[in-house]
Amino acid sequence: MLSSLQNPRQAAAQLMNFGLILSTAFMMWKGLSVITDSPSPIVVVLSGSMEPAFQRGDLLLLWNRNIFSETSVGEIVVYNVKDKDIPIVHRVVRKFGLGPRAKLLTKGDNNNSDDTELYAQGQDYLVRKDIIGSVVGFLPFVGYVTIMLSEHPWLKTVMLGIMGLVVVLQRE
Amino acid sequence: MASSQEKITVYNLADLKNTSDDAIPNYLNSLKFRPSHRLTDVRLALGYTAFLLAGACFLWDYKFGFDATKWYTAAAVALYSAINGALTLWIFYVERGTVYIGTAPSGETLRITSETPRKTLPEYHLTVEIEGKKGGKKETLVVTGSFTDWFDAVGHFVAPPFQSMLASAVPVIGKHDPKRVAPAEEAASAYTPEMLDALSKASVSAVSSAAETASGAESTPGKKGGKRRKA
Repeated sequence: MLSSLQNPRQAAAQLMNFGLILSTAFMMWKGLSVITDSPSPIVVVLSGSMEPAFQRGDLLLLWNRNIFSETSVGEIVVYNVKDKDIPIVHRVVRKFGLGPRAKLLTKGDNNNSDDTELYAQGQDYLVRKDIIGSVVGFLPFVGYVTIMLSEHPWLKTVMLGIMGLVVVLQRE
Repeated sequence: MASSQEKITVYNLADLKNTSDDAIPNYLNSLKFRPSHRLTDVRLALGYTAFLLAGACFLWDYKFGFDATKWYTAAAVALYSAINGALTLWIFYVERGTVYIGTAPSGETLRITSETPRKTLPEYHLTVEIEGKKGGKKETLVVTGSFTDWFDAVGHFVAPPFQSMLASAVPVIGKHDPKRVAPAEEAASAYTPEMLDALSKASVSAVSSAAETASGAESTPGKKGGKRRKA
């Protein structure tokens, strides 16, 4: 029904529907961010360093508020390292001190050594604010779609194009 | 705009409804009705406000990071939900399927809502609310038709039977288009499938261009032909 695009209000309404689908998805994500207090409340496992707990492609749900207790040894956390884009999912294995200044050391369950080599130059430990959330739930394998999309970027373009076309061409 | 040359899938109820919905403003505007776009404009305003808010949220998040803008983001999420909720309520309770609001040259205001009440039947229900010149009492008419009366077998929209259904059922429309008012004994459904085909072929040129003035020059012979065939 391309001909319906001749009416400017109808065209504006169809464009709006497409925009609202995108913006609603984005705002739901942001809502989840605000609730969990984490900039990225859902992450996908990219490596096998936490096997057998998590495999590549698993979707992890994060929670970044310390309401009842501090982040402590044994928790699986996701942290960011300065100047590295990719968040890392590993387990806290040592903790020195209490509060926001406590020094934390992490290690992948499937790795032979702890994470000191993964940290930034001159950094020997993490503090609480490096962590973007503790893992509170996971969905196996679902995240593999995003791995596919990031490894084959052209898939993104194709998907977005198809979605856009469907919304613009189909009313109701 | 439903030109006769455009084909739709006759098995697609949404297509049937959308094409018929689009034909109503075309027809009434050609009779010099003045359309009102208030409902659509409010919907567009709400929708685009929400969209721009989300866009702004995306920009400050991208530029300043999550932690620096948390509270703004929280406020934006709350506001976005409120606007989106308002939009949903507007569509369900205020617009409720309105396809046309307009004022007749004689002063009455028409509001037409359409629906297809049954998923498996090609029924078209129109509710026409008419408000007199001075406001005052509202009159509500229900017009029912079958899509088979104004779509031919291959899916061409045929304007004359559709228009005569409206003109016959709604006096305000009939007053401005007396040629389309069907005689009492011959209702709109008197168009046979063969006539629809013939009309759709004949009318491509004259009957259903967008600015149709319903002069009926072409359709009157068509009607006569139909009668002859029936006899």
